[in-house]
Amino acid sequence: MPRDTGFGNAACEQYEVLLEDYLNGELSGADAKSVAEHWQECAGCRAALQNSVAGLRLLRASEPSADPGAGFARIVMARIRAAESERASGRANFWQPFVSFGWRFAATATLALGVLVSYNAGLGHRLQPNVATARPTDNIDIFAPEPARAPANGDEVLMMVADNSHAKF
Amino acid sequence: MAASATALTLPLQQGEKRADDRELVRLSQNGTEAAFEELVRRHQQRVFALVAGILHRPDDVEDVAQQVFLKAYLGIKRFDQRAAFSTWLYKIAVNECWDYLRKRKVRPLVYEADLSEEQVSRLDGIVSSDRPPESASARTETREILERMLGALPEQDQQLLILKEIEGFSVQELAEILGLNVNTVKVRLFRARGRIMESYRRRLNTSGKGHASSAGSRKE
Repeated sequence: MPRDTGFGNAACEQYEVLLEDYLNGELSGADAKSVAEHWQECAGCRAALQNSVAGLRLLRASEPSADPGAGFARIVMARIRAAESERASGRANFWQPFVSFGWRFAATATLALGVLVSYNAGLGHRLQPNVATARPTDNIDIFAPEPARAPANGDEVLMMVADNSHAKF
Repeated sequence: MAASATALTLPLQQGEKRADDRELVRLSQNGTEAAFEELVRRHQQRVFALVAGILHRPDDVEDVAQQVFLKAYLGIKRFDQRAAFSTWLYKIAVNECWDYLRKRKVRPLVYEADLSEEQVSRLDGIVSSDRPPESASARTETREILERMLGALPEQDQQLLILKEIEGFSVQELAEILGLNVNTVKVRLFRARGRIMESYRRRLNTSGKGHASSAGSRKE
Protein backbone atom coordinates (compact mmCIF):
# COMPACT_ATOMS: atom_id res chain seq x y z
CA MET A 1 0.00 0.00 0.00
CA PRO A 2 1.67 3.28 -1.05
CA ARG A 3 2.24 5.84 1.70
CA ASP A 4 0.61 9.21 1.16
CA THR A 5 3.17 12.02 1.33
CA GLY A 6 1.08 14.60 -0.41
CA PHE A 7 3.39 14.56 -3.44
CA GLY A 8 1.94 11.51 -5.12
CA ASN A 9 5.16 9.54 -5.37
CA ALA A 10 5.28 7.46 -2.18
CA ALA A 11 6.54 3.89 -2.15
CA CYS A 12 4.72 0.97 -0.58
CA GLU A 13 5.78 0.93 3.10
CA GLN A 14 6.77 -2.73 3.06
CA TYR A 15 9.04 -2.10 0.06
CA GLU A 16 10.93 0.95 1.31
CA VAL A 17 13.77 -0.98 2.98
CA LEU A 18 14.00 -3.34 -0.01
CA LEU A 19 14.06 -0.45 -2.47
CA GLU A 20 16.86 1.20 -0.47
CA ASP A 21 18.85 -2.05 -0.57
CA TYR A 22 18.04 -2.43 -4.28
CA LEU A 23 19.27 1.11 -4.94
CA ASN A 24 22.54 0.39 -3.16
CA GLY A 25 22.99 -2.96 -4.92
CA GLU A 26 22.74 -4.90 -1.69
CA LEU A 27 20.12 -7.44 -2.77
CA SER A 28 20.90 -10.89 -4.05
CA GLY A 29 19.76 -11.96 -7.56
CA ALA A 30 16.36 -13.40 -6.63
CA ASP A 31 15.45 -10.56 -4.23
CA ALA A 32 16.63 -7.92 -6.68
CA LYS A 33 14.51 -9.51 -9.42
CA SER A 34 11.44 -9.60 -7.17
CA VAL A 35 11.84 -5.92 -6.20
CA ALA A 36 12.40 -4.95 -9.85
CA GLU A 37 9.20 -6.72 -10.86
CA HIS A 38 7.33 -4.84 -8.14
CA TRP A 39 8.52 -1.32 -8.98
CA GLN A 40 7.89 -1.86 -12.66
CA GLU A 41 4.25 -2.54 -11.86
CA CYS A 42 3.75 -0.09 -8.96
CA ALA A 43 3.66 3.57 -10.01
CA GLY A 44 4.26 4.85 -6.46
CA CYS A 45 7.35 2.72 -5.91
CA ARG A 46 8.65 3.52 -9.41
CA ALA A 47 8.32 7.28 -8.86
CA ALA A 48 9.86 7.04 -5.39
CA LEU A 49 12.77 5.00 -6.72
CA GLN A 50 13.37 7.45 -9.59
CA ASN A 51 13.29 10.35 -7.12
CA SER A 52 15.72 8.58 -4.86
CA VAL A 53 18.10 7.85 -7.74
CA ALA A 54 18.03 11.52 -8.80
CA GLY A 55 18.57 12.63 -5.18
CA LEU A 56 21.48 10.24 -4.91
CA ARG A 57 23.02 11.75 -8.04
CA LEU A 58 22.75 15.24 -6.60
CA LEU A 59 24.17 14.27 -3.24
CA ARG A 60 27.05 12.28 -4.66
CA ALA A 61 28.03 15.23 -6.84
CA SER A 62 28.98 17.09 -3.67
CA GLU A 63 32.47 17.40 -2.30
CA PRO A 64 33.06 15.61 1.03
CA SER A 65 34.77 17.49 3.86
CA ALA A 66 38.47 17.97 3.34
CA ASP A 67 41.05 16.24 5.50
CA PRO A 68 42.20 18.75 8.13
CA GLY A 69 45.84 17.95 7.35
CA ALA A 70 48.87 16.76 9.28
CA GLY A 71 48.95 19.85 11.48
CA PHE A 72 45.63 18.93 13.05
CA ALA A 73 47.00 15.98 15.06
CA ARG A 74 49.82 18.17 16.37
CA ILE A 75 47.35 20.86 17.44
CA VAL A 76 45.21 18.24 19.17
CA MET A 77 48.21 16.81 21.03
CA ALA A 78 49.31 20.31 22.11
CA ARG A 79 45.80 20.96 23.39
CA ILE A 80 45.82 17.64 25.24
CA ARG A 81 49.16 18.50 26.91
CA ALA A 82 47.85 21.92 27.92
CA ALA A 83 44.73 20.32 29.39
CA GLU A 84 46.84 17.73 31.24
CA SER A 85 49.08 20.38 32.82
CA GLU A 86 46.01 22.41 33.73
CA ARG A 87 44.54 19.33 35.43
CA ALA A 88 47.81 18.72 37.29
CA SER A 89 47.88 22.30 38.55
CA GLY A 90 44.20 21.93 39.40
CA ARG A 91 45.06 18.95 41.60
CA ALA A 92 47.80 21.01 43.31
CA ASN A 93 45.34 23.85 43.83
CA PHE A 94 42.94 21.44 45.48
CA TRP A 95 45.40 20.76 48.34
CA GLN A 96 46.62 24.38 48.55
CA PRO A 97 44.02 25.54 51.14
CA PHE A 98 44.84 22.57 53.37
CA VAL A 99 48.59 23.21 53.13
CA SER A 100 48.06 26.90 53.83
CA PHE A 101 45.88 26.13 56.83
CA GLY A 102 48.51 23.71 58.13
CA TRP A 103 51.24 26.34 57.96
CA ARG A 104 49.07 28.93 59.66
CA PHE A 105 48.12 26.48 62.36
CA ALA A 106 51.79 25.58 62.96
CA ALA A 107 52.80 29.26 63.12
CA THR A 108 50.01 30.08 65.57
CA ALA A 109 50.84 27.09 67.75
CA THR A 110 54.54 28.07 67.82
CA LEU A 111 53.65 31.63 68.75
CA ALA A 112 51.29 30.47 71.48
CA LEU A 113 53.94 28.11 72.83
CA GLY A 114 56.50 30.92 72.85
CA VAL A 115 54.14 33.24 74.72
CA LEU A 116 53.37 30.52 77.24
CA VAL A 117 57.03 29.73 77.85
CA SER A 118 58.02 33.38 78.19
CA TYR A 119 55.05 34.04 80.48
CA ASN A 120 56.00 31.14 82.72
CA ALA A 121 59.63 32.25 82.76
CA GLY A 122 58.67 35.85 83.63
CA LEU A 123 56.23 34.81 86.38
CA GLY A 124 58.81 32.49 87.90
CA HIS A 125 61.32 35.31 87.92
CA ARG A 126 58.86 37.62 89.68
CA LEU A 127 57.73 35.02 92.23
CA GLN A 128 61.20 33.84 93.15
CA PRO A 129 62.26 36.91 95.31
CA ASN A 130 59.01 36.76 97.25
CA VAL A 131 59.68 33.19 98.15
CA ALA A 132 63.26 33.98 99.08
CA THR A 133 62.31 36.99 101.23
CA ALA A 134 59.50 35.17 102.90
CA ARG A 135 61.61 32.28 104.07
CA PRO A 136 64.19 33.85 106.50
CA THR A 137 62.15 35.01 109.48
CA ASP A 138 65.13 35.34 111.86
CA ASN A 139 66.15 38.81 110.76
CA ILE A 140 62.71 40.34 110.92
CA ASP A 141 62.31 43.14 113.42
CA ILE A 142 58.82 42.66 114.69
CA PHE A 143 58.89 46.05 116.39
CA ALA A 144 59.88 47.96 113.30
CA PRO A 145 57.05 49.96 111.79
CA GLU A 146 55.25 48.17 109.07
CA PRO A 147 56.32 49.45 105.65
CA ALA A 148 53.85 51.70 104.01
CA ARG A 149 51.43 49.75 101.93
CA ALA A 150 49.15 51.04 99.31
CA PRO A 151 45.52 51.10 100.44
CA ALA A 152 43.51 48.39 98.85
CA ASN A 153 40.10 50.03 99.08
CA GLY A 154 38.23 53.16 100.17
CA ASP A 155 37.88 52.06 103.81
CA GLU A 156 41.63 51.58 104.13
CA VAL A 157 42.19 55.05 102.70
CA LEU A 158 39.90 56.54 105.37
CA MET A 159 41.62 54.50 108.06
CA MET A 160 45.03 55.78 106.93
CA VAL A 161 43.82 59.38 106.94
CA ALA A 162 42.42 58.87 110.44
CA ASP A 163 45.68 57.30 111.66
CA ASN A 164 47.76 60.13 110.29
CA SER A 165 45.49 62.73 111.88
CA HIS A 166 45.64 60.89 115.20
CA ALA A 167 49.46 60.74 115.04
CA LYS A 168 49.72 64.53 114.51
CA PHE A 169 47.58 65.39 117.47
CA MET B 1 57.40 12.64 23.41
CA ALA B 2 60.28 11.52 21.20
CA ALA B 3 60.87 8.54 23.46
CA SER B 4 57.26 7.47 23.33
CA ALA B 5 57.22 7.83 19.53
CA THR B 6 60.20 5.48 19.33
CA ALA B 7 58.45 3.06 21.67
CA LEU B 8 55.50 3.03 19.29
CA THR B 9 57.41 2.58 16.06
CA LEU B 10 59.51 -0.32 17.32
CA PRO B 11 56.72 -2.91 17.71
CA LEU B 12 55.22 -1.72 14.42
CA GLN B 13 58.48 -2.39 12.58
CA GLN B 14 58.95 -5.78 14.21
CA GLY B 15 55.39 -7.01 13.90
CA GLU B 16 52.56 -5.70 11.80
CA LYS B 17 53.35 -2.88 9.44
CA ARG B 18 50.35 -0.99 10.67
CA ALA B 19 49.07 -1.60 14.16
CA ASP B 20 45.31 -1.89 14.35
CA ASP B 21 43.23 0.49 16.40
CA ARG B 22 42.96 -1.97 19.29
CA GLU B 23 46.70 -2.03 19.79
CA LEU B 24 46.92 1.74 19.52
CA VAL B 25 44.10 2.10 22.04
CA ARG B 26 45.87 -0.29 24.41
CA LEU B 27 49.11 1.71 24.12
CA SER B 28 47.19 4.97 24.62
CA GLN B 29 45.60 3.54 27.74
CA ASN B 30 49.11 2.86 29.05
CA GLY B 31 50.00 6.50 28.48
CA THR B 32 51.78 6.35 25.10
CA GLU B 33 50.99 9.73 23.60
CA ALA B 34 52.34 8.79 20.16
CA ALA B 35 49.80 5.98 19.92
CA PHE B 36 46.98 8.39 20.54
CA GLU B 37 48.44 10.82 18.01
CA GLU B 38 48.34 8.02 15.43
CA LEU B 39 44.68 7.38 16.30
CA VAL B 40 43.99 11.08 15.77
CA ARG B 41 45.67 10.96 12.35
CA ARG B 42 43.68 7.91 11.34
CA HIS B 43 40.29 9.22 12.36
CA GLN B 44 40.57 12.99 11.99
CA GLN B 45 39.06 13.09 8.51
CA ARG B 46 35.92 11.15 9.46
CA VAL B 47 35.49 13.05 12.72
CA PHE B 48 35.77 16.26 10.71
CA ALA B 49 33.21 14.95 8.22
CA LEU B 50 30.83 13.90 11.00
CA VAL B 51 31.07 17.23 12.81
CA ALA B 52 30.67 19.15 9.55
CA GLY B 53 27.66 16.99 8.63
CA ILE B 54 25.92 17.84 11.90
CA LEU B 55 26.90 21.46 12.48
CA HIS B 56 26.93 22.87 8.93
CA ARG B 57 29.18 25.57 10.41
CA PRO B 58 32.59 25.36 8.75
CA ASP B 59 34.14 27.91 11.11
CA ASP B 60 33.34 25.84 14.20
CA VAL B 61 34.18 22.39 12.86
CA GLU B 62 37.88 22.39 13.72
CA ASP B 63 37.33 23.58 17.28
CA VAL B 64 34.65 20.96 17.96
CA ALA B 65 36.74 18.22 16.30
CA GLN B 66 39.68 19.10 18.58
CA GLN B 67 37.37 18.94 21.57
CA VAL B 68 36.19 15.48 20.46
CA PHE B 69 39.74 14.12 20.51
CA LEU B 70 40.49 15.81 23.81
CA LYS B 71 37.45 14.13 25.36
CA ALA B 72 38.47 10.80 23.81
CA TYR B 73 41.97 11.12 25.28
CA LEU B 74 40.64 11.94 28.75
CA GLY B 75 38.20 9.02 28.61
CA ILE B 76 40.27 6.39 26.82
CA LYS B 77 41.21 4.55 30.04
CA ARG B 78 37.54 3.82 30.59
CA PHE B 79 37.01 2.53 27.02
CA ASP B 80 36.70 -1.26 27.30
CA GLN B 81 37.10 -1.99 23.54
CA ARG B 82 33.86 -3.95 23.32
CA ALA B 83 32.83 -1.65 20.46
CA ALA B 84 35.15 -0.46 17.71
CA PHE B 85 37.23 2.58 18.62
CA SER B 86 35.73 4.45 15.65
CA THR B 87 32.16 3.87 16.85
CA TRP B 88 33.06 5.04 20.35
CA LEU B 89 34.83 8.10 18.92
CA TYR B 90 31.94 8.99 16.60
CA LYS B 91 29.49 8.81 19.48
CA ILE B 92 31.66 11.27 21.39
CA ALA B 93 31.64 13.47 18.29
CA VAL B 94 27.83 13.39 17.99
CA ASN B 95 27.41 14.21 21.70
CA GLU B 96 29.98 16.99 21.44
CA CYS B 97 28.12 18.50 18.49
CA TRP B 98 24.83 18.52 20.37
CA ASP B 99 26.51 19.93 23.50
CA TYR B 100 28.08 22.62 21.37
CA LEU B 101 24.78 23.54 19.73
CA ARG B 102 22.98 23.52 23.09
CA LYS B 103 25.61 25.72 24.77
CA ARG B 104 25.58 28.16 21.89
CA LYS B 105 21.78 27.93 21.85
CA VAL B 106 21.82 27.60 18.08
CA ARG B 107 20.44 25.10 15.66
CA PRO B 108 22.53 23.62 12.88
CA LEU B 109 22.98 26.28 10.25
CA VAL B 110 20.58 25.70 7.41
CA TYR B 111 19.54 27.90 4.56
CA GLU B 112 16.40 27.79 2.64
CA ALA B 113 16.77 30.51 0.10
CA ASP B 114 15.80 30.59 -3.53
CA LEU B 115 18.38 29.36 -5.95
CA SER B 116 19.79 31.53 -8.69
CA GLU B 117 19.28 30.65 -12.37
CA GLU B 118 22.89 29.54 -12.56
CA GLN B 119 22.58 27.27 -9.53
CA VAL B 120 19.39 25.70 -10.86
CA SER B 121 21.04 25.08 -14.19
CA ARG B 122 24.02 23.47 -12.45
CA LEU B 123 21.77 21.09 -10.47
CA ASP B 124 19.70 20.41 -13.57
CA GLY B 125 22.83 19.30 -15.37
CA ILE B 126 23.74 16.93 -12.55
CA VAL B 127 20.27 15.39 -12.26
CA SER B 128 19.81 14.88 -16.00
CA SER B 129 23.20 13.30 -16.60
CA ASP B 130 25.15 10.56 -14.90
CA ARG B 131 28.32 12.62 -14.88
CA PRO B 132 28.98 14.47 -11.65
CA PRO B 133 31.14 17.63 -11.78
CA GLU B 134 34.79 16.69 -11.86
CA SER B 135 36.52 19.69 -10.35
CA ALA B 136 36.65 19.98 -6.55
CA SER B 137 35.47 23.60 -6.71
CA ALA B 138 32.38 22.65 -8.73
CA ARG B 139 31.64 19.83 -6.29
CA THR B 140 32.10 22.19 -3.33
CA GLU B 141 29.67 24.63 -4.90
CA THR B 142 27.18 21.82 -5.48
CA ARG B 143 27.43 20.94 -1.80
CA GLU B 144 26.71 24.53 -0.81
CA ILE B 145 23.61 24.60 -3.01
CA LEU B 146 22.46 21.23 -1.69
CA GLU B 147 22.89 22.30 1.92
CA ARG B 148 20.50 25.15 1.20
CA MET B 149 17.97 22.71 -0.16
CA LEU B 150 18.43 20.39 2.80
CA GLY B 151 16.98 23.12 5.01
CA ALA B 152 13.55 21.86 3.97
CA LEU B 153 14.17 18.48 5.67
CA PRO B 154 14.07 17.52 9.34
CA GLU B 155 17.49 17.90 11.02
CA GLN B 156 18.12 14.18 11.43
CA ASP B 157 17.29 13.50 7.78
CA GLN B 158 19.73 16.21 6.71
CA GLN B 159 22.43 14.61 8.84
CA LEU B 160 21.68 11.14 7.50
CA LEU B 161 21.87 12.29 3.88
CA ILE B 162 25.08 14.26 4.32
CA LEU B 163 26.82 11.60 6.38
CA LYS B 164 25.76 8.69 4.17
CA GLU B 165 25.83 10.11 0.65
CA ILE B 166 28.44 12.84 0.89
CA GLU B 167 30.76 11.81 3.71
CA GLY B 168 30.55 8.09 3.04
CA PHE B 169 29.40 6.65 6.36
CA SER B 170 27.70 3.27 6.10
CA VAL B 171 24.10 2.60 7.18
CA GLN B 172 25.42 0.36 9.97
CA GLU B 173 27.73 3.10 11.24
CA LEU B 174 24.96 5.70 11.16
CA ALA B 175 22.62 3.40 13.06
CA GLU B 176 25.25 2.91 15.78
CA ILE B 177 26.31 6.55 15.97
CA LEU B 178 22.79 7.98 16.05
CA GLY B 179 21.25 5.17 18.10
CA LEU B 180 18.76 4.14 15.42
CA ASN B 181 17.61 0.83 14.01
CA VAL B 182 19.29 -0.09 10.70
CA ASN B 183 15.97 -0.39 8.87
CA THR B 184 14.86 2.98 10.29
CA VAL B 185 18.00 4.54 8.82
CA LYS B 186 17.30 2.92 5.44
CA VAL B 187 13.69 4.10 5.34
CA ARG B 188 14.63 7.62 6.41
CA LEU B 189 17.35 7.80 3.79
CA PHE B 190 15.03 6.56 1.07
CA ARG B 191 12.30 9.04 1.98
CA ALA B 192 14.74 11.93 2.56
CA ARG B 193 16.27 11.51 -0.88
CA GLY B 194 12.80 11.70 -2.35
CA ARG B 195 12.02 14.83 -0.33
CA ILE B 196 15.15 16.60 -1.43
CA MET B 197 14.11 16.04 -5.03
CA GLU B 198 10.65 17.41 -4.25
CA SER B 199 12.28 20.48 -2.72
CA TYR B 200 14.51 20.77 -5.77
CA ARG B 201 11.57 20.62 -8.16
CA ARG B 202 9.65 23.25 -6.19
CA ARG B 203 12.62 25.61 -6.52
CA LEU B 204 12.98 24.69 -10.15
CA ASN B 205 9.35 25.64 -10.75
CA THR B 206 9.71 28.98 -8.99
CA SER B 207 13.02 29.91 -10.61
CA GLY B 208 12.16 29.77 -14.31
CA LYS B 209 9.75 28.50 -16.88
CA GLY B 210 12.44 26.86 -18.96
CA HIS B 211 13.75 24.83 -16.06
CA ALA B 212 10.26 24.08 -14.83
CA SER B 213 9.41 22.46 -18.11
CA SER B 214 12.53 20.32 -18.08
CA ALA B 215 11.75 19.27 -14.49
CA GLY B 216 8.19 18.48 -15.45
CA SER B 217 9.38 16.09 -18.12
CA ARG B 218 11.27 14.08 -15.48
CA LYS B 219 8.51 14.12 -12.91
CA GLU B 220 6.56 10.91 -12.85
